[in-house]
Amino acid sequence: MVTSPPIAASESSTAATVAPMRVEPAIISVDGMDFHYGEKQALHDITLQIPARQVTAFIGPSGCGKSTLLRCFNRINDRIHGAHISRGAICIKGKNIHDDDVDLTQLRNQVGMVFQKSNPFPKSIYENVVFGLRVHGVKKKSVLDEAVERCLRSAALWDELKDRLHDNALGLSGGQQQRLCIARSIASKPDILLMDEPCSALDPLATLKIEELITTLVKDYTVVMVTHNMQQARRVSDHTAFLYLGKLIEFAPTVEIFTNPREKQTDAYVRGQFS
Amino acid sequence: MQSPSDSPAAAGPNPFAKHKSRRELHEWLTRWILRAATYAVLVATAAIFIHIIVKGAPIVLSTQAPFVNTAFLTKLPETMHIIEDKQGKIYETDPKGSDVIKQQLGDNFRQEKTVSYSGGGILGPIVGTTLLVAVCMAVALFLGISAAIYLNEYSKHGRFIEMVRLAILNLAGVPSVVFGLFGLSAFVLGAPRLVDVPLERSLLVIPLGFTNLSFEGWDTSVLAGGFTLAFVILPVVITACEECLKAVPQGFRETSLALGATKWQTIWKSVLPFALPGILTSSILGIARAAGETAPIMFTAALAFKDKLPWQGNSGLMGTLTESVQALPYHIYTLAARIPQNEWSERAQYGSVFVFLVLVMSLAASSVLLRRKLRAKYKW
Repeated sequence: MVTSPPIAASESSTAATVAPMRVEPAIISVDGMDFHYGEKQALHDITLQIPARQVTAFIGPSGCGKSTLLRCFNRINDRIHGAHISRGAICIKGKNIHDDDVDLTQLRNQVGMVFQKSNPFPKSIYENVVFGLRVHGVKKKSVLDEAVERCLRSAALWDELKDRLHDNALGLSGGQQQRLCIARSIASKPDILLMDEPCSALDPLATLKIEELITTLVKDYTVVMVTHNMQQARRVSDHTAFLYLGKLIEFAPTVEIFTNPREKQTDAYVRGQFS
Repeated sequence: MQSPSDSPAAAGPNPFAKHKSRRELHEWLTRWILRAATYAVLVATAAIFIHIIVKGAPIVLSTQAPFVNTAFLTKLPETMHIIEDKQGKIYETDPKGSDVIKQQLGDNFRQEKTVSYSGGGILGPIVGTTLLVAVCMAVALFLGISAAIYLNEYSKHGRFIEMVRLAILNLAGVPSVVFGLFGLSAFVLGAPRLVDVPLERSLLVIPLGFTNLSFEGWDTSVLAGGFTLAFVILPVVITACEECLKAVPQGFRETSLALGATKWQTIWKSVLPFALPGILTSSILGIARAAGETAPIMFTAALAFKDKLPWQGNSGLMGTLTESVQALPYHIYTLAARIPQNEWSERAQYGSVFVFLVLVMSLAASSVLLRRKLRAKYKW
């Protein structure tokens, strides 16, 4: 699983003395970031490097800031009044995403996002998938048709839906809706796919399908996901970050987090002693 | 109810027996007071409708072929002449007919009286009200939806925006006659227009080279009246629009933004279509209310009597819109304010009221139909 990073997923706890883990090549790197919602500080001094073409999971109890951190990566937090980064920076593909010359629509085109609640637009399946392309001015039908097929195939939906592309997306089951949302978010061929608890509203079978999907998507995309479900993090992710009360407690290869965590708090959390 | 004799419950006393107390009376009383209040409202509404239908329908509808009194709907109002001969026979006629009849009667003529505005039909007021409503709808929807989108989607929450909201709400409490006076000074006397030779009373003249932009108002006109009416219902429209925008799930906005849409693309493609059914319904109901306002158009658009339609002697849309018109509510007022009332003026009055009621109700019905259609298309 973990190939390029210099850190081997060793069981040795000697690595514990090393300051934040470095993974190369990092596609997202967060450097000493503080984040505020108005007066209230939600994230404290977050530093981490997220490797490309791997699955990184954020775990932690409710309100620990894992969603907030994820939502910083495509700056969707900007629309919340008073939300701002007060210190530090986030670089994606080597560019500070808060620089003035960063165009938000371009950023979000390359950093896709799937939300907790599957929320397809009340339009046809086809229109849902091509939404991102249409807003970027793609009009040619052949391009749109091609994108629909490619995305639905990637999301393992093509065979189920190819005959009803023009049906309303709200007629799909919960799991299908969420996979459609994933298909929609990869239409613009982003580098990074952010997933905010993508399975929390789904039944176990649908969850399994999404998890399978994630493990295939990671061949082409960098996946960063927030999850409440520790077993899910364990099953699908290569790296896991544990956040608690707005602080990054530990970030390490998933195996290490679950079998040999450095921090006592991580240990307590993954063993289910608090949540 | 008899319980079966073998039932075990029959043995002991009923554990769920009703407690005898005043509470029961209270419950009964409350229920009946609420019920009576509801019925009182119902009776009043029914009385109004029946009154208008009984008195108005015979004038507008007829039992013969077209089943409507076409003259009443297609003629302009005119003075009615009532001529009585010595046998007590009464002739109703228009100004032209009166001379003919008088000649025919010769010595048999006893007396003639005239009732102004009660003869002919009410085409002028119908046309005027239609034009006023059209202008009002265009202005109110554009300004109202724009303002609501700005307030709900763009503005930062702060003291200033709260004040703006409060001001809009307060606007809803302003009496309509005040809006009439505002319209008089703002639109009739003060609004800018392009003219080659500005009037002397123009408030401000800005030379544009080829012509002048003169703040001399639009005169008493459909345009001024429509704008005034729009301002009367703007608070309602803005508040309703804001509610409808708030009802659209935040998820649609976030998803759209996350897919790389700009703010306006998000609003245009992922918010407005889903808010539109509600916006149109509540706005059209508000506009139906505005159609019945008399005070705002009294000084700005409506004349008690006009012998031609707004497009006669005018060219183009602007020509029509800068004409003064007759309007149904003002026409009803004019007829009702005639003292002494007589059976002829009352007839024209109830006929107008009936037509007006039908127009307003069809406007409301169309809003309901529109909502149904849009809801089916944009359901979430």
